[in-house]
Amino acid sequence: MSAPPAPPVHEPAWQLSRSAIWLWVTEGVIGVLVYGVVVGVGVLLVPASAGGPVPVLRWLLPVLVGVYAVVAIGIRPWVRYRVHRWEVTAETVHTLTGWLTRTWTLVPVARIQTVDVTRGVLQQLYGLASVAVLTASSQGTVRVPHLELAVAERVAEDLARRAEQVRDEAT
Amino acid sequence: MSEPHPAPPPPVPQQLVPGPPPPDSAPAGARRTSPLVVLVHTVTFKQARQVVPAAIPVVAAIGIDGPGVIVAMVLAVTALSLLFAGLTWWRTTYADTPSAVVVTRGLLARSVRTVPNDRIRGVEVEAPALHRLFGLVRVRIDAAAGTVTGGDEEVVVDGVPRSEGDRLRVSVLTHRRTARPVAAGGDPSALPEEPPERELARFDPRWLLYAPLVAGYLAVPLAAVGALSRLLQELPRDLRPDFDGPDLTDVRVLVLTAVAGLLLLVVGSVLGAAVVNWGFRLVRRGGSLVAVRGLLTRRHTELEVDRVRGGTLAEGLGMRLARAARVNALVTGLGAASRRGQLFPLGPRAEAVRLLGVLVDDPGPLRPHPPAARRRAVVRAVVSGLLVAAAGAWLAAGTGSWALLAAGVVLTVLGVPLGLGRYAALGHTAGPRSFSVRSGLLVREQAVLQRRAVVGWQVSQTFFQRRAGLATVVACVGAGTGGYAAVDMAADDVAAFTAAASGPWATAPGSRPAG
Repeated sequence: MSAPPAPPVHEPAWQLSRSAIWLWVTEGVIGVLVYGVVVGVGVLLVPASAGGPVPVLRWLLPVLVGVYAVVAIGIRPWVRYRVHRWEVTAETVHTLTGWLTRTWTLVPVARIQTVDVTRGVLQQLYGLASVAVLTASSQGTVRVPHLELAVAERVAEDLARRAEQVRDEAT
Repeated sequence: MSEPHPAPPPPVPQQLVPGPPPPDSAPAGARRTSPLVVLVHTVTFKQARQVVPAAIPVVAAIGIDGPGVIVAMVLAVTALSLLFAGLTWWRTTYADTPSAVVVTRGLLARSVRTVPNDRIRGVEVEAPALHRLFGLVRVRIDAAAGTVTGGDEEVVVDGVPRSEGDRLRVSVLTHRRTARPVAAGGDPSALPEEPPERELARFDPRWLLYAPLVAGYLAVPLAAVGALSRLLQELPRDLRPDFDGPDLTDVRVLVLTAVAGLLLLVVGSVLGAAVVNWGFRLVRRGGSLVAVRGLLTRRHTELEVDRVRGGTLAEGLGMRLARAARVNALVTGLGAASRRGQLFPLGPRAEAVRLLGVLVDDPGPLRPHPPAARRRAVVRAVVSGLLVAAAGAWLAAGTGSWALLAAGVVLTVLGVPLGLGRYAALGHTAGPRSFSVRSGLLVREQAVLQRRAVVGWQVSQTFFQRRAGLATVVACVGAGTGGYAAVDMAADDVAAFTAAASGPWATAPGSRPAG
């Protein structure tokens, strides 16, 4: 993954690990289970004879959960995987993230202050890790989610070393 | 005052002592604050305040009856306060060595706070009213070094004579400025005296007339009225002033009340602005910008020009009508930035723009955003009204009640000028050494930033922005709020703008054709 630095590119070139898809699917399944249990308990406990919007909600909520299941498990992980890109060049780190709203973040290596590698519980199951590149600005943080652990560690080490060499005194 | 301790040693102008700096252990020149501060703290219960929560149940248990008990309690509290203030004064010392500022304090648990000079970001000298009575000042040293507890980044030396406060400020700032040259082999004995001043702005009392147009100052009299009415409620019944309620049916009374209320608002806001901003003066002294302001509490803020990355020009709705504006400096690593960064609290727009030009080069006139941005702003402002109207139409068809439909229509119509106003605020431009973005409906804020301020870019497109060929570009900055956005600019212009505003490295994002 640490390819020779390409000339300044117009779109980040590298994709995340394919395991990221399965991690997002797992997250989707967990979310659907939580909503499903909540709605199921609600449908079981609230009698259909209750007034107000209850009769409508009794069929609307399960349908919504079903739609959410299709989107969160069947669609979103794959769209995300296609959208998410990242790249480290000689001068910059940049990422493209998002699903419906897309966000490019671009930070020059000279302005990097710290590089963090984090691993959540699910990420550990799939052997993944996230890299966060922090700058002096609270909004100028580049997050590369779900890389293979070895890649993430290599990238973090490489960035930290290069930032040390070219760091601007100014922030 | 009663403590048998020697007066503080006479101030030694440490920054003029030639020769190598002493080793930075053992702060040799440890000083005490002025003993007079004990009186100030006794009066304000500064330390004794901490015991109040514990004291309340005790008092409640004893019960208050008769004036004798009250007098005794007042005496006891004052004595306690004097004791605490005296002990605190006795146990607090500070020292400004050539390498660090050291503050030692604590009654039982001693704490020694050492702030290296190169971590000091600014020094503020303030003189609250009571301090001024005794000729004292409070020195706040803003340090970039986080504390163990993470909260307070300030070192406060409370209650030194004015001359000592000035000496401390000059000394700390001189040490800090020379920290790097000295390390590089400079001559520490060749330190300059305070360099000459150049005045950048001076407050004109006529500018106070703008105060009623600023929401922040209008809140001052409202808060005062609120506090007063609460106080009246708390008073015992026999102490409450007894007067008949006004006759609300009389039109003259209503009109009079309204006029009096308005007058109170206007006068109160002017007074509030005067208390905060009286005698405001901004000077450039060597490498620092120094702002002085305040009627009761004189505040003296010093910012390092090297750390200034730009500024913001803010105009509220009312201020725009009167062509007034405020200026804040954007300074890297500045704690309490909205208070300390204030360079021009209130005044004519032309003056504000001139001052902003001193901070950062003018990047030129703003470029408006494309018509698609206007459509998007109007649609966003109208859509909630349309939803209400649709619900109202459904309701009207079902029950014949027209109220909701009417409300929806009114909301929709009001949304149009709202959206247009939001669009009118949008703009961006990039000049040779700086760039600027502007947005905001009620408070229109224009940020002008130096090229070197940018630590990153964030370009985002929602689903609808992609279809409209728009994008929101945030310049990430290590100052102020951390990011300043050009909302809804043409997606095709993003790459050119980011490159022009920072450097060729920034051509990457968003240059992909939208959609």
